[in-house]
Parts: sequence; structure tokens; C-alpha cells
Amino acid sequence: MQQDNVIEVRNVKKKFKVYFDKGSSLKEKILFQNRNRYEDRWVLNGITFSVKKGEAIGLIGKNGCGKSTTLKLITRIMYPNEGEIEIKGRVSSLLELGAGFHPDMSGRENIYTNASIFGLTRKEIDMRMHDIVTFSELEDFLDNPVRTYSSGMYMRLAFSVAINVDADVLLIDEILAVGDVSFQAKCFEKLKEIKANGTTIVIVSHSMGQIEQICDRAIWLEDGLIKEEGIPKFVGEHYLATMENQRLEKKEEEYQKIFKEKKLEEINNIEVSEFESKLNDDEEEAEIKIEKKKKILLPAFCNSRAVRSGNRIVEFTEVQMLNSKGKETMVFSTGEQMLIKMQYVCHQIGTSCNFTIGITRDDGVYCYGSSVLLDSKEVIIAKEIGEATITIEYNRLLPGKYFLDIGAQAEDYLPYDTICSVKEFQVTVPVINEFGILSIEHKWKVDGNAIKQKNS
Amino acid sequence: MKLIKELYAYREMIFSLVKKDLRGRYKGSVLGFLWTFINPLCQIIIYTLVFSVIMRSGIEKFYLFLIVGLIPWIFFSSSINGGAISILTQQDLVKKIYFPREVLPISYVTSSFVNMLFSFIIVFIVLFISGVGVNPSALVFLPIVMIVEYILALGIALIASACTVFFRDLEHILSIITMAWMYLTPIMYSVDMVPEKIIQIFNLNPMTPVIIAYRDILYYKKIPQIETLLQATIIGITILIIGTLVFSRLQRNFAEEL
Repeated sequence: MQQDNVIEVRNVKKKFKVYFDKGSSLKEKILFQNRNRYEDRWVLNGITFSVKKGEAIGLIGKNGCGKSTTLKLITRIMYPNEGEIEIKGRVSSLLELGAGFHPDMSGRENIYTNASIFGLTRKEIDMRMHDIVTFSELEDFLDNPVRTYSSGMYMRLAFSVAINVDADVLLIDEILAVGDVSFQAKCFEKLKEIKANGTTIVIVSHSMGQIEQICDRAIWLEDGLIKEEGIPKFVGEHYLATMENQRLEKKEEEYQKIFKEKKLEEINNIEVSEFESKLNDDEEEAEIKIEKKKKILLPAFCNSRAVRSGNRIVEFTEVQMLNSKGKETMVFSTGEQMLIKMQYVCHQIGTSCNFTIGITRDDGVYCYGSSVLLDSKEVIIAKEIGEATITIEYNRLLPGKYFLDIGAQAEDYLPYDTICSVKEFQVTVPVINEFGILSIEHKWKVDGNAIKQKNS
Repeated sequence: MKLIKELYAYREMIFSLVKKDLRGRYKGSVLGFLWTFINPLCQIIIYTLVFSVIMRSGIEKFYLFLIVGLIPWIFFSSSINGGAISILTQQDLVKKIYFPREVLPISYVTSSFVNMLFSFIIVFIVLFISGVGVNPSALVFLPIVMIVEYILALGIALIASACTVFFRDLEHILSIITMAWMYLTPIMYSVDMVPEKIIQIFNLNPMTPVIIAYRDILYYKKIPQIETLLQATIIGITILIIGTLVFSRLQRNFAEEL
């Protein structure tokens, strides 16, 4: 194990036996031997990753891809069939809140029971009692039996115990939907605090928002393999786009199936105008093909890692980034003018439309966003063919690699055409005299003497 | 070694499970904790009636002879029968959270053990009322015998609990086995009554030396034979080691099987 790694997962494979009809009693085992047939289902097909101390990673992927299994293997509820998992330190898992709660016992007694399941001793629990109680905000109900609690109170108590265990590794499975909005926010703050204190966190969630907020790294699992690993925002974009494409494809398949059935019926019922119907079919099929192409192939103006989604009622046809001289470029300097030109076509006359842009740095930090609707406070009707531009008079971004996101949406934010990372651009500066994300106007004064900025 | 260290870290969990079990056992019943005493007392009355009135055994103070063997036996059989399903009944916990799985059978056996300690209050009351009294120098060995029995019960409970997860019939099979086992152990009769021919086989029963030791200490008021005690200790420790090994092998698949 490497020095600063807390979790190391090496080529882990896991299979489950899926019984067709399982009997576990003697009678069933003897009498229905053929019912004991089972099938091996491989849930993990060899995944490898490591997590450093104090790092937070998020596991994403669709249902059944192996996220929760991975967590269960890390907590040692289950063991891998092949490969190794090594962990340093105490693991606390929030896979199940309120484990071992007894409804007839008081809140206080349940804190002891529940915390003891996490491996805390009485002394350690006494030390944390105050923190747990304050965090749960249940001071007044602590000596009432837990069965009198509302489900929200129950979860709050359970979460408070789990999060105050002071584990070295915290595993969380889709449970941040605890209590009301303010308690959720509190849980989030607490998680960030725990992370800042050096606890390693592994989260499974379907909410990309949560993962982007907490995690340093996201791992996208698909069919038991790691499909992509990296900065949460970018991995998330690719994941969501793929999911969307799959959904559309499925919809199309269904549509075609219904269509074919209909066609069969028609053929059976009517023999007339066969030629005509065939012609129609061809047309429709061609249309579907074109639509499919649009979804998969990215147009030339897009960066290779761009991710496109939306219903394309309004569609971008060209996007350009121009410098102060009106020349298309992908290198800007801090302080320079920046012009973003977006050409669009609108397939539905009279559509109301809002345009947005966003800029993200290559490490996933969202730097800037703007939208027409927020500026104008009124809805604009899109033309059949038109152009939207935004001029950034003074580019405040400091040197680095950035990505531009653009979007066309309805006024209720239903996306027509969203292209994330449509352009990649570089910001440079002749002399570096500032650090961070943005250039901010400033003046230094030392002992009453103003310091002058020298640009050479 | 690692297991002992880990179990020590989880000691609070064992305590709280034992407490919960003892408190929960008779919760909601009118007589509550009194049942701990009533149940063995009734058994003793029944057996005494049968064996000293109907089928006369000719043993002096039969009720006393019986009680010093029966109460340890109740602990032993309930450890096996209850211990066997200790993992099954806590399957929600096992599937959702990590802790050393040994904690569950250990807590169950421990809570039965504590129950036996309470029952021993009756034993001593009966000893004094009947005028038999106790022999302090023999009584010193009582805790040792209890610990030996605890080790034996724990070893069997570990094996039974792990196997029951994979083979649920074991729960019912075990209740038959413990019933037969009770009659094969000199609880209602003395070892002297056992025919010479089968005494060798009879002595293979690990509970025989334990019950004999209890009876020596409390009924005959004499120091138990060191030989008997040693034999029981060796058997107990061997079974505990086997139990731990079997359990640690089987526990890897608990979460999937439940």
C-alpha cells in the first residue's frame, strides 16, 4: 500500500449467485434439486482505484452498475471473489441509518446502542454525546422513547450519531435526503468540515450536484468496470449525456416497434395504396436517421470533448470566440476583449428563447455564467435564423485552461440545445502578478507609499 | 489475535446487546423479570414430582440433586438453540453494517449466562432452606466450572449460528438434538446408574464432566476432581477454537446468503 493512500482497491471482481428459485430448507434442497440451479452474475469485473487521505470521491453510474456493491466491499460487509481491498483506519458507513435502534428505548439509550455498533466504547460515546445531541437538535426529546419520534426526527438522530463517529473513512450511500432543507444543508456543511479535518469520504449518489459540491474526483462505473475517472463536473457531464442518449435510443426503439406493428396491421387490413405507405415509411426512417446522426455526431464547431443535449427546437449552427481584433482564436490574455458569437436556427416559429453561457476552468471550478433572460427580465422570441453574441469587455480570467458552455432554453429553462465544453480556450498573461481565478483591481500601499505595477 | 483485539474494541456493542436482550426478553409481560425464576422453578417441580414420587430414583434430596444440574443445563441448551439463530434474527444489521460478526453469538451466550447467574440465586436459596448449606472451599471452584461451561457453549453456538445461516433446518434439528442431549447427560440421574458397557461412550459427552463438577461442588459439597475439570477445560477450549475457525470461514458469505 502506498504511503498516503487510505483505500486501495486492486482488480476487484465480485459475482453473485442468482438462484432461479431458491429453497434453503432440507426438504426443498432434497426434493427440488433442480430448483437449486443458479447463474453467476458478475457485478464487478475488475476495478482498481485508490483514495488518498482527506480525499472525497463520488461513485456514479446507473442502477445495477456496481456502485453499492463497491461500497459494501469496502466496509467488509461482503468480500470480493478476486482482487484485494486494503483500508487504513476506522471505517464508518452511512449505508444504513439507525442500525439497531430499539423503538421502546429512549433517544439517549439508542445513541449508546447505535454508536456501539460503530465500534465506539462507552467513554468515547460519552465524549461525543454533547456533539451528537446538539447536532440532532433533539435536546427536548432525548428521554422520550424513539417510537414517539417523527420519521424526520428519527433520521436526524441516526445521522447525527453516524456522522459524529470520527471515522478515518466515511462511506455514504444515497442518504443525504435526511430531514428538512435546513437540516440537509447542515449535514452538507458537516460533511465538508469532516473532509477538511482529513477524513476520507466515498459517496454513492445519483445527484451530480451533491457529488460536484463535495467530491474531488468522480468515478463512473458501468457494467462493473470503471468507464471514466476524473473531475466531477466533466465526468458527470459525460455520464448524464450518455444516459440521455440511451434514454432517447430506447424511446426510438419503442416508437419503431409500435410503428412496425401498426404497419403490419395496416398491411393486413388494407391492401390499397401500398406504394404510398412504403414511400411514407422511407421518409420517416430517413428522418429518424438524421435525428440520430444529429445526436451522436458533433458538428465541426464543437470541441472534441463537448457534450450536447436538448430537444433542438432551437439549434446552434456555429459558435465562434473572437478577440478584440475580430479574429477567431482560442488564446486570450487577461484584460483583453472577448466576443462570443452563436448562430442558431429555430425550427418552430414564435418560440421564446433564452441564451446562456458559462465558463469552467479545467479543474471543474465554475468561474462565470450569464444569461439573456436574467439581464433583460423579458422573453425574446427567436427568429428563424439568427445570431446571439455576448461581448466581454474586460476578460478578468487569470491564466489557465477554460471551457465554454452555451445553451438555448425556453423561459422555463427547458433546454433546447445545451453544449457543454463547446470550446476550449487558453488565457495567458505576459507577466504573472496575480493568483487565483479572477483578476481584481487592486492597489498596494506600504508605509504610505503607493506601489506601482510594473509590467515588465 | 486480531479478532480478540477487534472484539475488545467492540466490547460496548456486546454490553449493549446483552443489556437489550435481558431487558427485552420479558418486556411487556406482567411478571417481567420474575419469569427468569419461574420457568426453571416449574421445571424443577415437574421433574421432582416425576422422579421422586412416581419413578422413584432413590436419590436423597432429589430436588437439590436435580437443580444443581438443571440450571446449568438450561443455560447450555438455550445458548445453542438461541445462539443458532442469533445471526438470522439480526440479519438487517449484518446486511447493512460492518462489525465483527462474532459479536452476535457472543452476546447471546453472554446474556444466557447472566440469566443463569440470576437463576443461581434460587439454587442458593434452596441450598440454605434445605439445610444443606455450602462448603466455601469447594465454592471457589464454582466460577471456574461456570467459565468452562461458557467456553463450551460459546464454541458450539459459534458453529451453530454460522451453519444455520446456510442451512435453516438446523434450527429445528438442534432443538431435537438438545432434547436428546439432556437425557444423555447425567442431570436427572447419576453417572453411577450408567451401565458399565457404555460408560466409555458416555464420557465422550463434553457436558458430563461439567455437570459432575457442578454437582460435586454444590450437592456433595466437595472439591471437584481436578481430572474431571481439566478434561472439561480441554474439550471446551478445543471446541471454541474449532468454532472460531468455522465461523470466520463462513462469515464471509453471510451478507449474500441472508
